[in-house]
Amino acid sequence: MIVLPAKIILFAILGAFLTGIACSLVGSFVVRMNLSSLGFCMSHAAFAGAALGLLLYLNPLVMAIIFSILVAFILGPIAEKAKLNTDVVIGIIFSLMISLGLIFLSFSPGTAMSSTALSILWGSILGVTINDILRLTVITFSIILIIVLFFKEFQAIMFSRKMAEASGINTKPFYYLILFLTGVTVALSLKLVGGLLVFALMINPASSAYQFFYDMKKITIFSPIIGVFCCFLGILLSFFLDLPTGASIAITSSLFFGLSVLISPKRKRG
Amino acid sequence: MIKLKNVETIYEGERTPVIKNINLEIKKEEFLTVIGSNGAGKTTLLETINGLLESRGKVIVFGKDIRKSGTGIRKNIGYVPQDFSCDSSTPFLVKDVVMMGRFGKIGVLKSPSKKDHEIVKKTLNFLGISEFEKKPIGKLSGGQLQKVMIARALAKEPEILLLDEPFSNLDLNSQDDISEKISFLNEKGMTIIMIVHDISSIPERCKRIVMMDNGNIVMDDGREKVLGG
Repeated sequence: MIVLPAKIILFAILGAFLTGIACSLVGSFVVRMNLSSLGFCMSHAAFAGAALGLLLYLNPLVMAIIFSILVAFILGPIAEKAKLNTDVVIGIIFSLMISLGLIFLSFSPGTAMSSTALSILWGSILGVTINDILRLTVITFSIILIIVLFFKEFQAIMFSRKMAEASGINTKPFYYLILFLTGVTVALSLKLVGGLLVFALMINPASSAYQFFYDMKKITIFSPIIGVFCCFLGILLSFFLDLPTGASIAITSSLFFGLSVLISPKRKRG
Repeated sequence: MIKLKNVETIYEGERTPVIKNINLEIKKEEFLTVIGSNGAGKTTLLETINGLLESRGKVIVFGKDIRKSGTGIRKNIGYVPQDFSCDSSTPFLVKDVVMMGRFGKIGVLKSPSKKDHEIVKKTLNFLGISEFEKKPIGKLSGGQLQKVMIARALAKEPEILLLDEPFSNLDLNSQDDISEKISFLNEKGMTIIMIVHDISSIPERCKRIVMMDNGNIVMDDGREKVLGG
């Protein structure tokens, strides 16, 4: 076991707590809307942004955030214009982003630059600063507030967007808001668990919650609880077993999902 | 109450309109049934009336243009779609789905009040499905789901009720029961526009029938004239 300064451990735990809540909360909507590849797409948008940042001598993390948010903004309108399933458009944007990232990197001098851009995909929970914690606090509380304020509308869209529209709800802004919140959450969680593992944290706790409940409200409440639990357990395991923290969190949440499938009351008969 | 003037609806990317040259006027408290073969444009007509599909021409509901005030107008239109289905893991309970019908009316940034919950209970009672209240929506049979979708539309306490094949998936007893209830609602002042495939299921109370063929209204007259001819 590695002994780390208390400040690093405290920031790591705080960061995990906030990311666990934020990712798993939006995850409960992402899973229901079959947008599971959204996290993956956003993380590669962040990778392309970071690579462009390196090429232009700009802050790679800021550029990663800008790219993720940009993708979150254009995704919904493109899917609607193209009359395609949003998941298909996510696939197209994903391949575009990874290609752009590689092109930007090929123009960037030195291998150190490439590893900086790639670090966006892996993250480092132990490198979390007070500014990261503040950013995560703002986004986490904003997500909670937005979900509380518009839960009714989100719930109606989750059931059927067409029927929500027929009920007299203007669904477009709320649908885009869900995509946008997901983009921002991915972008701001990047430094902590990395772009690839933010995907696991978004999907696994929410999918686990879906194994236990038929009520969207309960799923939205329990998904972040599971997310936070997996983050803490993942950090503990990484400290004791000397594993990469992000990977440890992802494995914990995957195991939790596996266990949920096994003990799910939805599969019991009688 | 509803006025359609030279209306045509074309799906994006298509050249031929699904419904064309539609002129229709429906008065308050009227009960109208739309009949016609498959692909005649009946569902398109219904979705054009409530503004779910974009159209050309004039569609005026409650004196307002549906294209400009669609969201507001739909708060007073109940809509039951044809053959609505959901997967078995859909994470919503029956009472939540019925309450969703009222969300537009409740408005943004407001939560359902005690009165809203009472209306939902009353609607479930009216349709005789109170026992399903806490059941997951995905666990219902086709007929039960159909009744829940009717309850959802009624929970809104709409002025206009649009029903697309409301008797599909229902057994004969349930068909009679729903038919009576629709007639009762019309008696109480609700305007009803209904699509049916089987003309024998048209309630006695319905006195006007519109027949569609190939996107056009080919007959619009009294029940005896249309069905008798």
